[in-house]
Amino acid sequence: MSSLQAVPARYRIVSRAAETSDTVTLGLEPVDEPIAPHQPGQFAMLYAFGSGEVPISISGEPGRPGLVYTIRSVGAVTRALCEAGPGQMIGVRGPYGTDWGVTDAAGQDLIVVAGGIGLAPLRPALLAALAARERYRRVTVLIGTRTPGDLVFAGELDTWREQGADVRVTVDRATAGWRGHVGVVTQLIDRVDVDPVATLALVCGPEVMMRLAARALSARGVAPGRIRISLERNMRCGIAECGHCQLGPLLLCRDGPVISYQRAVPLLSVKEL
Amino acid sequence: MNDPVPAAALADHAFLRGMPPDEVAWLARAAVAVSLPAGRRLFDEGAPAEKCWLLTSGQVALDLHMPGQANLIVETLGPGDVLGFSWLSPPHQWQFGAEAVEPTDAFELDGATVKALSDSHPELGYQLVLRFLATAVERLQATRIRLLDLYAAPSRDAGAR
Repeated sequence: MSSLQAVPARYRIVSRAAETSDTVTLGLEPVDEPIAPHQPGQFAMLYAFGSGEVPISISGEPGRPGLVYTIRSVGAVTRALCEAGPGQMIGVRGPYGTDWGVTDAAGQDLIVVAGGIGLAPLRPALLAALAARERYRRVTVLIGTRTPGDLVFAGELDTWREQGADVRVTVDRATAGWRGHVGVVTQLIDRVDVDPVATLALVCGPEVMMRLAARALSARGVAPGRIRISLERNMRCGIAECGHCQLGPLLLCRDGPVISYQRAVPLLSVKEL
Repeated sequence: MNDPVPAAALADHAFLRGMPPDEVAWLARAAVAVSLPAGRRLFDEGAPAEKCWLLTSGQVALDLHMPGQANLIVETLGPGDVLGFSWLSPPHQWQFGAEAVEPTDAFELDGATVKALSDSHPELGYQLVLRFLATAVERLQATRIRLLDLYAAPSRDAGAR
């Protein structure tokens, strides 16, 4: 099937796991012919029948049967998706967009910086790196979240550590019983060893957080071309036809969501874009 | 008995990086190396502030006493960080509490000795003020970022997550 698929394929929800109070992870199996295999960082358009369509990054491991999406309820369509349960059908178009290119870090250090739900699009890249752990030097995962209760994939962090990742979490606001780090995610960047000439950094989260994280990585010597961020705009068609996701010269459904920070810097500083 | 700190070890600390060797040597006179077990309280809110610590390993939580509840952690500090600003300015009382949340090593500086050394060696005082100011600015910026509540939910379905 073409990667420019424009008609949704039907998928059935086979699993639903609550990550936080407003975020769920759905597992899907195809009813029709499945969409093309995805690369870490790509997204698909998910169609909640009767509600509408939204772009959601794939959070499952590439190469596995079925699809996994981690969705936060922030509007009518995502709410419908979050409330859907096993057995229900949804439509899927995709996969679309650019990927993290995690294999570019082979033989080097990989730093993954996630803010909030931004860990979901990064998870496939991290799982791919951990599945071929011997190909990478240090794998560092820095996660910032609002409170301990807002941490997604909390049950997987120890597994990632056992697989050789240095996983660190910080929260903006501690709650009773939290004994971990409290502060912004950029402070974690200041505390890890960084090899500026042999590091690939993947950053995903709110746009301001990505900008600050990229700035902190740059301050540690990582070249802007070796920092990749995932931008989101109002993706609608997914096939670079409608123009809703335009950011300057880019159509993010085609040229993004993953782009280098070097490419993003001039675009993120223009107010009108 | 705590061990004195060689000037070379002090000079390696991130907070003092780039300080002229002569000034580090003076500062070493005010420093001792301390090891703090997990759970050790370094100070409590309202107590006289007389020291500061340059952390070299472990983690310390700055906290606020909440009546009838567990202390609320405001921020955590780790290797390379400086703990303790309140000794610098009136009323010389701790504004928060601090507790080692894991075994922690630090260089402990005696505030009165540092002030006396700075009075007699203004270059040392200048170098320290620059560093405390830079750290205060960094923490102010980090606090502002936290105030933005960056991870709050967007108001509508739009992007790719």
